[in-house]
Parts: sequence; C-alpha cells; structure tokens
Amino acid sequence: MGRQRKFTPWLAGITALVALAILLFPVYAVIVGSFENNAQLLGTHYNFFPPTPTLANYRNVISTQGSHILSSLIIGVATAILTLAIALPAAHALARYRFRVTVAVVASLLVAQILPSIVIANSLFVVYHKLHLLNSYPGLILADASYAVPFSILVLRAFMLGLPNDVLQAARVDGATEWGTFVRVVLPMSRSAIITVALFAFLNGWGDFIFALTLLNGSTLQPITLSIYNYIGVFSQNLGAAMALAVFAILPAAMMLIAAQRYIAAGLTVGSVKG
Amino acid sequence: MNPAAPSVRTEPPPRRPAGPAARPGTPPRDRRARYRRTARLAFLVPAGLYVLFAFVVPVIYNLILSFEVTTPATIASLFAPWAGLSNYKITLLQSITQSALIRTLTFTVLSLLFQFLIGFGLALLFNLRFPLNKLARSLVIVPWLLPFLVTGFIFRFLFQLEAGAVNQVLLDVHLIHAPIGYLLSPGWAYVTVLITNIWLGVPFFTVLLFSALQDVPPELKEAAMIDGAGPWQTLVRVTLPVIRPVIEVTFVLGFVFTVKVFDIVISLTQGGPANSTQLIATWAYNLSFQQFDYGAGAALNTVLLIIALLVAPVYIRLNRDSLRQG
Repeated sequence: MGRQRKFTPWLAGITALVALAILLFPVYAVIVGSFENNAQLLGTHYNFFPPTPTLANYRNVISTQGSHILSSLIIGVATAILTLAIALPAAHALARYRFRVTVAVVASLLVAQILPSIVIANSLFVVYHKLHLLNSYPGLILADASYAVPFSILVLRAFMLGLPNDVLQAARVDGATEWGTFVRVVLPMSRSAIITVALFAFLNGWGDFIFALTLLNGSTLQPITLSIYNYIGVFSQNLGAAMALAVFAILPAAMMLIAAQRYIAAGLTVGSVKG
Repeated sequence: MNPAAPSVRTEPPPRRPAGPAARPGTPPRDRRARYRRTARLAFLVPAGLYVLFAFVVPVIYNLILSFEVTTPATIASLFAPWAGLSNYKITLLQSITQSALIRTLTFTVLSLLFQFLIGFGLALLFNLRFPLNKLARSLVIVPWLLPFLVTGFIFRFLFQLEAGAVNQVLLDVHLIHAPIGYLLSPGWAYVTVLITNIWLGVPFFTVLLFSALQDVPPELKEAAMIDGAGPWQTLVRVTLPVIRPVIEVTFVLGFVFTVKVFDIVISLTQGGPANSTQLIATWAYNLSFQQFDYGAGAALNTVLLIIALLVAPVYIRLNRDSLRQG
C-alpha cells in the first residue's frame, strides 16, 4: 500500500502530462507555424521547430489585418456590453421578484439556449436585408449577443439568488428605489458573476463565425474569423500569415486563462457557455 | 447544475394587483404599489424585446420562409408566394440531405461517446493527487476557449497531406508507410472532422465531470471499500449513480452543441469532398447562401430545430430546481 501511494501520483502526473501534450499540441503547432515561411509550412515534411524563425508573418498581419483585428475587438467588447445591459436587469428581476411568468421566462431562456445559430442567421439575413442592417456593426453585434444572452441571464440569476436578502431589505427600508437597490447594492455584490459573463460574451463576439459569414459580405466590415476563412480559400498562397492571424485570434482566450482563470472555470462549471 | 443558490427569499408575496382601486383619489399607498410593480416589470423589458428579436421572430420567420417559393429576387420582399410543403418534399428527398441527416446522427453519437470516455477518464485522473494538478486542470480548458473556426483551420494544417504533423508522426513511428490524404477522401475527411470535434469538446466533459466527482462524499466511497468493493465496483456502484444528474446535463448540452456543428466543417472541408462531410447545419447553409434557395434552407433548418428541441423537455426537467426558485 505504501509503495503504491508513492507511485500513483507520479503515474497520474505523467499520464496527465501526456494527455495535455496531445490536447495542447494544435496550439503549439499554430504558434510554431506562425514563425515559418510558406515553403516550410507547405514543404515535404512537418517541422516541430521553426527551421529559420521569421517575424515576416506578423509584420504582414499587422500591416494588412490591423483594421480587422480592431473590428473583432469592437465586436467582442460591444457584444459583452450589450449582453450585460440586457441580462443584468432581467436576472435581477427574475431572482428578486415573484412574477407569475417567472417559470415560463426561465424555461423559454433554456429553450433559447438550444436554438441553433444557423436557424437564426438564415432568418436574420432576410430580415436584415429589409432593415438595412446587413454589413453593419449594430446588426452583427445584435446577432452575436444571441450566443450569450440566455446563458448570461441564467448564470447571473443563479448567482443573485444567493445574495443575502437582509442587505437588500435594508436598502429598501432606507428608502432606496428598485433601480437604486439594483445599481448600488446588487451590481457591486455580483461583481464576480458579471466578470464571468462579460468574458464569455466577449469570447462569443470575438470568435463568432456563423453570423459574420452570413450577415456580412466581407467588403466593408471583416472580423478576423472571416479573414482566416478567406485565407483558407487561397490556402497555399499565404498560409504563414494565416497562422500569425490565428495566433492573434487565440490571444484573448490565452490572456483570460492567465489573468482571469477562476472566472473562466466558474463559467464552464455552470454549464453551456458557447453557442 | 447551478452553483449552490440557496433559496434565501423571505420577501412577502406580491400584493394583489391594484386593479380598480388604483384610480385617482385612492390612497397613495396603492398607487405606489402599482408603480413598484411596473418598475419591477420594466427590468424585464430589454430582455423581453431581445428574446423576441433574436429568437422568437427568427424561428417564426424561418417557419414562414420554409413554406414559400423563394428565389434571389424574392429576398427584396419580406413575403413570397406560398409553396405549400414543396420545400420540405424536395429538400428531404434529396440524397445529400438524407445522408447529411444520417451523418449528423452518427457524428453526434460518436462525438458524445468519445468525448464522454476521454473526458471522464481525465476527470478521474484529475481527481487523484499529483504534482501540478491545478495547473493541468486549467490548461485542459484551452481547446474549448478557442474560436471554433480557428480550431478547424489549425486541424486542417495538422491533417494536410505533406508537411502535416499527423502524417509526419505516423510515418516516423512506422504506423503508416505513405502519407494519407485525410481531407481528400470522403471517409478520412469525416474521421478528421470527428476527431476535431472530439478534441474541442473534451474539456467541457472533463470540467463538468470533474466538478461532479469533487462533490461525491468521500464517506460513501470509504463505506463501499470497507464493504469489500474494489475500485471498479466503487466506481460503477457508488460514483456513477451519484454523479448521474451531471452526466445527464453534460450529454444534453453536448447533444445541443454537436447537432449544430458548423464552423469546423466549413474551415476543414467546406462539406466536401463531394459533400461527404455535410452535416445538417452546413447543408442548410449551402442551400440558403450558396444555392440561394432560402426556402429549402429554411425547411432543413426547421428539421434541425426540431431535432435540437427534442432534448428541450429533458433539459428543462434537469433544471427544475432553478425553475422552482422563481
């Protein structure tokens, strides 16, 4: 038994290391690839290290894709802001007040979470055509929020149900309005859940492809997912630049994992987070 | 599935609607009550409008489109001539549609099976004590956080014929003697999309199942051990039944994610070669946005919608605790 106790952690650790190496290899490969030239990326054998590391791909991306990276940032941030603006008041009301419709509303949010985005995109394309919302930031951001809004309301509500009720009662006794209680008491106390929801809403907007593909024609407004997709169409011509752009595309996730790990883990455990 | 959210509500039930009593001349208390009720409902207005805009209207409009004769020209008008069931008949009788339906089914079953087996294996592994366990657990999330389109792009590179890492490794260890054109043959292309989808879904299963394993009371396992149960029996007789609700939630959400897989197919194979990797979502996209037959696309979308909604009752039932708190 004693020998086994000493042995097991090492065996488990090595197994975990091998599993992680396989799971993370694609990320490693895209980083290595971003420092190679096209001839190396499309040569006769795979390179586990860049034979002649070059920054040319990054120079290329910064000079040609800067505005697209900015577009993706705007879309991600705006999706997070819009999601919070919609979800926070709703989550507060559903957690704090008793409406006859509460059960129906929560159930319909669960159903909304299930709806495939391609169904929404197909309809929105025709509706946007009428409303002149195609190829526009507002149209795309409104669509992108559909990934995050149902999830966000459910997560925030679950969190707000756990807030101590006496603090809220005290605010009311002090004569605070419904809005005042929400803004000055509930929001500050919900900080960690708000961060979780905002991060995932950002990732949803940043990583969206379906709505960008269907609701934009790529001429006026092009997020980087669409840029990478366009590179695929001409795969052999500039794979190196596409690799560097892909590294940019995975940066936010990497940064969040380093800087805001506990919020990410919290969001994952509560359930569905990606559309 | 929701984190501990104890029901701490001691608030009295809402007053009866003010009704006729709230006319001018009534005591200010009633007016205030009515004002308060309106203020409370106002919190729900943005979300209500948004749900109408992003979910209700698109679903209803999709249904209408599926019964219309649509051409690129009819996009200019919101409504087109009535088509009856012809979009459904024509689309569902196409052999590409039928194979896409069956393929989506096998793809979903195989994805969930392997995601569960690998994810549960990793969850059991992380449940052991070993050095850097916490770091490993946070890194395991990475595949889930990447934009799906980027994942497809990277795997396309890894699975390419020459200079692809997969062929390189398999050649180096002498498992194969000539490089395989994974994205060039129908069978291999399907396997490649499947592997990619399994890869990106494993973290989701791992994280949810791991947190469920953490919640299994150690006394239960110890009691089983004392009764003479081996590790395997303890797993099957004690651990699995205890975490069953989480397993169900994980499968339901995994199903919902998988039936609508889109990005990785488009970036890996665009549904090819020869439509051999078309799934329902990608074929519906193809009908609408590449053949410009929005009616046909909408008909197939309705089918996809019905398939996705099959799990809605289960999903709602699994969330009944969170419903009851309302």
